[in-house]
Amino acid sequence: MLTIRNLEKDYGGVPVLERISLDIKEGCFCGIVGPSGCGKSTFLRILLGQEAPSRGELLLDGVPLPNEPSTERGIVFQRYSVFPHLTARENLLLAHDFEGSPFLGRAFGTRRREAERMADQLLDRTGLDPARDRYPAQLSGGMQQRLAIAQALMKRPRMLLLDEPFGALDPGVRLEMHDLLLELWREHGMTVFMVTHDISEAFKLSTRVLTFDKVRTDPQFPDAYGATVTYDLSVDGTAFPDNIEKDDPNAEAG
Amino acid sequence: MFRKSLLKFLPAAFAATLLLSAPAAEAAPKKDFKVCWSIYVGWMPWGEIQNSGLMKKWADKYGINVDIVQINDYIESINQYTAGEFDGCSMTNMDALSIPSGGGVDTTALIIGDYSNGNDGIVLKGAKALADIKGQTVNLVELSVSHYLLVRGLDGIGLSEKDITVVNTSDADMVAAYSTPDVTAVVTWNPLLSEIAGMPESYKVFDSSQTPGEIIDIMMVNTEVLKDNPDFGKALVGAWYEMMAIMSKSDSAGMDMRTAMAKASGTNLAGYDSQLASTAMFYTPAEAVAFTKDPKLITTMEFVRQFLFEKGILGEGAPSVDFVGIEFPGGKTLGDTANIKLRFDPAYMEMAAAGKL
Amino acid sequence: MRLINQKVSRPAGFLLAAIPFAIVIIAYVSASGARLAVNPSDKLLPSFASMAEAFWRMATQPDRRSGSLLLWADTAASLARLALGIGISALLALLLGVPIGLIPKIRGLLNAFIATFSLIPPITVLPILFIAVGLGEASKIALIIIGTAPVMTRAIALAVSELPVELLVKAQTLGASTWQIILRVVLPQIWPKLVVAIRLGLVPAWIFLISAEAIASTEGLGYRIFLVRRYLAMDVILPYVAWITLIAFLLDRALMLSSRRFFRWAHLGGGGL
Repeated sequence: MLTIRNLEKDYGGVPVLERISLDIKEGCFCGIVGPSGCGKSTFLRILLGQEAPSRGELLLDGVPLPNEPSTERGIVFQRYSVFPHLTARENLLLAHDFEGSPFLGRAFGTRRREAERMADQLLDRTGLDPARDRYPAQLSGGMQQRLAIAQALMKRPRMLLLDEPFGALDPGVRLEMHDLLLELWREHGMTVFMVTHDISEAFKLSTRVLTFDKVRTDPQFPDAYGATVTYDLSVDGTAFPDNIEKDDPNAEAG
Repeated sequence: MFRKSLLKFLPAAFAATLLLSAPAAEAAPKKDFKVCWSIYVGWMPWGEIQNSGLMKKWADKYGINVDIVQINDYIESINQYTAGEFDGCSMTNMDALSIPSGGGVDTTALIIGDYSNGNDGIVLKGAKALADIKGQTVNLVELSVSHYLLVRGLDGIGLSEKDITVVNTSDADMVAAYSTPDVTAVVTWNPLLSEIAGMPESYKVFDSSQTPGEIIDIMMVNTEVLKDNPDFGKALVGAWYEMMAIMSKSDSAGMDMRTAMAKASGTNLAGYDSQLASTAMFYTPAEAVAFTKDPKLITTMEFVRQFLFEKGILGEGAPSVDFVGIEFPGGKTLGDTANIKLRFDPAYMEMAAAGKL
Repeated sequence: MRLINQKVSRPAGFLLAAIPFAIVIIAYVSASGARLAVNPSDKLLPSFASMAEAFWRMATQPDRRSGSLLLWADTAASLARLALGIGISALLALLLGVPIGLIPKIRGLLNAFIATFSLIPPITVLPILFIAVGLGEASKIALIIIGTAPVMTRAIALAVSELPVELLVKAQTLGASTWQIILRVVLPQIWPKLVVAIRLGLVPAWIFLISAEAIASTEGLGYRIFLVRRYLAMDVILPYVAWITLIAFLLDRALMLSSRRFFRWAHLGGGGL
């Protein structure tokens, strides 16, 4: 269970996010939508630990999450998610290499074989097996994103964060990616947060959709107020305008 | 800023080189002449000859124009002269033989101005005799008169260049180089010489006063230009000896003149006078004529050309030491008489001595 | 058709590139010929034949004074200095540039200092250099290092700071420590940038090498040029300059090709100079 309490974020006194309180159940697929500049990516970066909230707290099972990225939270960005100097397979092995040796950053022996087994499984699972020894620059956009998702799953994170992951892909490829993502989500059972500006995509994939927008505006000072969660919807259309002390009944729907 | 300075970046030289397509000095009567000089104790008068209007006075007398130009880099000034940019240039006997004469530019020694009489010397750190130089590393401007002086010095005590290691060192960095512990022997010239010899534990073990009359400072002019334009030679010589007469006196006019020269060379009257003390100036044309006619000059040039040939400076293509011919008064010569490129001709100085200018 | 749309075919490209070279060579030959017609011993613009002869002599005949083959001795001495100087500069650039680009506290500590230091013209501090490291090889190599290390360090720091922040975040979500990020994420991606920095650093490195050799030395390409300049031996100087240009060009190509060979991933996007 992820708990967000009174979260606020401002940059140099200009509020971006305000009054955000949410409870997210384990295994929820949470779509995040809203107009440009409404702070949905900022929200994701705070969930990721890339940025610290100005006020409020972020608890995973009641324990505060560290204010820097950690292995509980996997991430897939729209671009630059995989390492260009490593082949597809090496990209997947990297996480276990980090674990394997603090000084050399390489895994050896049983640990390595275990990592290789897992990497090969994921390569196979994501259809990347034929491209295992290619560099990212040699992969199509869709293959790169598949690799990025596979890489994020290697550490079996409890949360998978996706920042407009399919925004740069062709429509056909995007549909394939939807299927793959849903399958992986069901297999691994992690909580997913996906920022997208495609509302239909959000409703197609998510069990819960959060929309971000500014509710208060001051025409004299457009920057006076930040954005917050304006709608909190389950996929069946039930609205939770005031969700603070409630659980999402559809969290397990997937 | 000194006469043997050579530190200058090459690109400019190449750029200039490519543009210099005009052939060397034209051999035809002309009205406008240009000579160049660089800063050195014995050549400071040239600056004042121009500033005081003496040059204009003498040029007007012969109905010509002569422009005297100061060049900051000594070697560059000779190169410019050799390339044909100037009709005359102040340089040493040694550099005249190696650069313009070796480069096929027929050159005449118009005015023998002085010779180094202690202005060039060898300094050792913590040793008092020249013989102690054996086995040491010696810092100097290679192939310059310093190098020549070193070879002459070693000759005198039965050593040769093989007994030491020569390190080419820019004159601009000589004082700084000597300040480091690993530099223990240098050969250089004034005013660097007096500065280095004045440092603690430093001894001047040899200087040019021990081989007097071998490092000669001369106004060299293009032989063809001189032949076609005798007035050019007369104007230069006339102006020079008028200046010599003024500056050699200890009256106020002479002191003023030497003070101006001191200032132009970055020192004061006392400093300049002390440099003059180790320079054998020929204040009268008669002295210069006598020096030119002395057979000892032939011996000196023999040493010089042997030195240059051994060092490969006469041109690597020079098949023998006789490749470039040198002419002396009275028809005496050294080397190839069919290829005379350096001439010691006292004619114009004799005219000055006889008061015929 | 507009000029900007007119493409050049490959053979025409070679021809175009050859034109400026041809113009310079023709200009040289005619100027040299004119001077040599007046004075066959002219040293300023020697003929190609005499330059070739001088170059051949330097390369194949033992020197009258030292008994060594001057061209090769000079080249070996200069390349050794260049390699040491640029090698140490590259090492410094990595040791300083990576932390400056990656770690905010180190950037705060060093960035302004290195930016300031890189503005000092190295030649001006030569006397201090002499006292500090002596007049021998060390001072020449130090001059190259002072002349190239700051710019190379800044180039590396810039390259590190330009790595997409997404990659650094991603590495952290995979459990990497700062050191592991340096070792597995930053350094491998910086190698090709280091090669670029070395290629850029070689240009000032040559200039500083040549000036260093002019100051105090007994052999080297720059030493020879400054030495023979004393008797206007352009027949030696010009081939030496061509030789230096050739070596510099080959070094640059070799670095580029080795980067393509060893860091294949970095050149998959095509292009690159």
